[in-house]
Amino acid sequence: MSSKKIIGKMADSIDPSLFDFAEYDESKSELTGYSNYSFWRSTVQVFMKNKVAVALLILMVCVIIFTVIQPYLPNQKSPTQIYINPETNLQYRNVQPNDEFRFGTNSIGQDLWARIWSGTRTSLFIGVAVGLFEALVGITIGALWGYVRKLDAIITEIYNVWDNIPSTVVLIILTYIMKPGISTIIFAMCMTGWLEMARFVRNLIIIIRDREYNLASRCLGTPTNRIITKNLLPYLVSVIMLRMALAIPAAIGNEVFLSYIGMGLPLDIPSLGNLINEGRALMMDPNQRYQLFFPAAVISVVTISFYVIGNVFADSADPRNHV
Amino acid sequence: MNNKEKLLEVKNLRVEFGKKNKKFVAVNDVSFDIYKGETFGLVGESGSGKTTIGRAIIRINPAASGEVIYKGKKISGQIDKELDKELTREIQMIFQDPMASLNERAKVDYIVSEGLYNLKNYGSEEERKKKVEQALLDVGLLPEFASRFPHEFSGGQRQRIGIARVLVMEPELVIADEPISALDVSIRAQVINLLDELQKKKGLTYMFIAHDLSVVRFISDRIAVIHKGKIVELAESEALFANPLHPYTRSLLSAIPTPNPRVERNKVIEVYEPEKSHYDYDKNPPHWQEVEPGHFLLANERELTECKIK
Amino acid sequence: MAQKTIEEIMNSEVVLSIKDLVIKFNLRGQELTAIRGASLDLHKGESLAIVGESGSGKSVLNKSFMGLLDSNGRIESGSIMYNGQDLAKFKTEEDWIKIRGKEIAMVFQDPMTSLNPLKAIGKQVQESIELHQNLKGEEAKKLAVEILNDVGISEPERRYKQYPHEFSGGMRQRVVIATAVACNPNILICDEPTTALDVTIQAQILQLLKNLQDKYNLTIIYITHDLGVVANVADRIAVMYAGDIIEIGSSEEVFFDPKHPYTWALLSSLPQLGVKGEALYSIKGTPPNLFKEIKGDAFAPRNPHALKIDFVERPPYFEVTPTHKARTWLLDPRAPKVEPPPLVKKMQELYIEAGDKVE
Repeated sequence: MSSKKIIGKMADSIDPSLFDFAEYDESKSELTGYSNYSFWRSTVQVFMKNKVAVALLILMVCVIIFTVIQPYLPNQKSPTQIYINPETNLQYRNVQPNDEFRFGTNSIGQDLWARIWSGTRTSLFIGVAVGLFEALVGITIGALWGYVRKLDAIITEIYNVWDNIPSTVVLIILTYIMKPGISTIIFAMCMTGWLEMARFVRNLIIIIRDREYNLASRCLGTPTNRIITKNLLPYLVSVIMLRMALAIPAAIGNEVFLSYIGMGLPLDIPSLGNLINEGRALMMDPNQRYQLFFPAAVISVVTISFYVIGNVFADSADPRNHV
Repeated sequence: MNNKEKLLEVKNLRVEFGKKNKKFVAVNDVSFDIYKGETFGLVGESGSGKTTIGRAIIRINPAASGEVIYKGKKISGQIDKELDKELTREIQMIFQDPMASLNERAKVDYIVSEGLYNLKNYGSEEERKKKVEQALLDVGLLPEFASRFPHEFSGGQRQRIGIARVLVMEPELVIADEPISALDVSIRAQVINLLDELQKKKGLTYMFIAHDLSVVRFISDRIAVIHKGKIVELAESEALFANPLHPYTRSLLSAIPTPNPRVERNKVIEVYEPEKSHYDYDKNPPHWQEVEPGHFLLANERELTECKIK
Repeated sequence: MAQKTIEEIMNSEVVLSIKDLVIKFNLRGQELTAIRGASLDLHKGESLAIVGESGSGKSVLNKSFMGLLDSNGRIESGSIMYNGQDLAKFKTEEDWIKIRGKEIAMVFQDPMTSLNPLKAIGKQVQESIELHQNLKGEEAKKLAVEILNDVGISEPERRYKQYPHEFSGGMRQRVVIATAVACNPNILICDEPTTALDVTIQAQILQLLKNLQDKYNLTIIYITHDLGVVANVADRIAVMYAGDIIEIGSSEEVFFDPKHPYTWALLSSLPQLGVKGEALYSIKGTPPNLFKEIKGDAFAPRNPHALKIDFVERPPYFEVTPTHKARTWLLDPRAPKVEPPPLVKKMQELYIEAGDKVE
């Protein structure tokens, strides 16, 4: 003790009065960092860092807005009217894109520009409707399936039976027996789509349901519905959002498939499926390829955008990435 | 001890997991009483069934046989709604891992109020807020913490949030399942003192589950030592430390590290090997018996005579 | 077993030398300083315990010389000299491969996470040997069996073919230690090697590490939050607080003559020292927020003995003995004399007595 030596820099210049005792305030020692963290704000921040996703999101918003307002803009043609050349009194068949018909016309003289936007509107509507329904039903059933042990066996049985019927068969039968139309196709896709969502949610819930914080809630007497909404689902936001974002392009793709096999929407309702189907017939003629190219381009952009946005959003909604 | 009021009685409790072929007996024929106002320590290693007993009392794990009696009423098996609600308030649990036992996506305000929402035993929103504030103050946290998320807090603070959530229920029996083993040593004392203080202030009864005898000694009035689903020894805590009878208890005691390099370097650890430590259990199985007043031991006749000679 | 004296240790060569190390992390857009200018010399053949609570930076410090810092962390300044190379300057994985395992190996807290559940345990030990010791096939297998035997696994030949799930926690930890020892490292870092284990197993594992140290000529670093655990095994103890080593000395010096108020507090709060019926000593408050710049002594806000200067100027190291130094203004000649808290004093008396009796 006697031969004390300062190893660090000599601190002789220090005011000796500083060697008095400081006042000790116990409550101050409890204060710790306050990071002012908010889940959603961090999610948005991380999402914003991905420029591609932000660009695609803006693009999608623009597309959606445009499909809605497009019919009310000046100089727009009707998507269903057949245009006739007043000079020859013949239909404007297969007119290449020009000033009047921006995307050209189809084989019976309808304006492809108007048809594509009308079709995009229909397809997006179908996609969003199916996506929302799948999420709603899938999450509800999946959560009960995963959390309520008594329901596990019975829902698993239902799932096994339902899942063993190929979904294409269900889709085809339902669209066949019901009146063709938008609501039919939405209904048919919902009947098959919720299954996967429900199983997905169930598996996730089983992973986290026995964590200590859920046991704590049970000990406090928290009812099942609140455990699901307050304890379980908030942990699954990111993955569920991704599934929903992917369900939309999947539904659009399904619609194209159904139209392709002739089970889709009636021909008088333009949809991306119908347009692609028409365009496909003309694919071999190089001059007519624009009829396939335009709807295919739109569906590609929409699908890829939703896919990228969904993935990036899921990543940014994962608290582990909130660095 | 006998003039004290029994708050909880556990009689021949047996808890099993798994289905027929793969049945695993986690708790086997366990009996003990907990008196009102005391701290009952339950000590055992991982897999000994100590947590399962706690969870059987709070009705997360069902009892396969035997019964749990609380205030004279049977609470294991089927019970009616009224009693269920009452028990939810009166028996509460503190969990081991403060990192896992709080809902990360809820604010402290919700976490602490969760039980209140369930019981609806508050008049107005203001009264609820008041109760939350009081509970936070009781555990030494600032009321302004209510608006924050759990991840902003350190382990010790999180554990205190877990205690506040229990306090707000105004429970009578608190099962503390290794409440400090996931905490730093420096924080442990904080939480133990808090539990002690709350017991004095609110007349709580604790069942304190732990794997480390050194900690239990301070907080417990009586200690039960559990090994592989069976309680092997039960005594008042000083009696247990002064005169440990069961070889397993002795091995646990010898393993407590001493904060003294000189003593530690020369320490000999007693190892408990059931095959070597007990004689002819096949012919002469052990019984649960009172060796001296308040000191119970699981032993057969021969071992009993031996420890009386000692 | 012959315990090395502190003089022997201080005279043996320095194998790892850390100088003014600063490590920073980026977290949620903020910068966190996890290590604030720590310095440390590790001597050959010693066992050094680094003690601190969670968030004190003890794990970060050790990860920094294994090249295992998380991707958002970086060494801001300072050096880590090992064998004439500065590990702080290492950038690529290839650099680290030469160090990891071969030179410095690590035993983690949870044995299950460091074993491959799909591989027989003997094979895992053998792979370490083949990778780091230039032995192949039968030879390597023979050595693996020998090491398994050394870590206290009975019937190593039979158990060689068993899988991790067939072992208990304590046995698994022995296997992990075997895989680490099989690399024939110079330095073995044990990060809370017994925290996940039962008390009775804890003591056995510590005993095992002690035995292995002699046989394999290891330098061991123990990382732990529990001072009580290391009394048995450590030659020297370094106490960390808020990213800095605030006291370091031989284990007797730290236990019997601690100088820093934080070490006092840490010792006093050991439950083994408590008196029944009285409240245990507890450190108030929580560790500081390392996102903010720390002024003065990081422990000051929680320290009932804090001086005014503790809030103004960071204390330098004061040397108590050639082997013992502490970063606290209380050791400055101008500081008022402060008695250590009663529990620490009581322990000094009580245990020096007890210690003499044993010897």
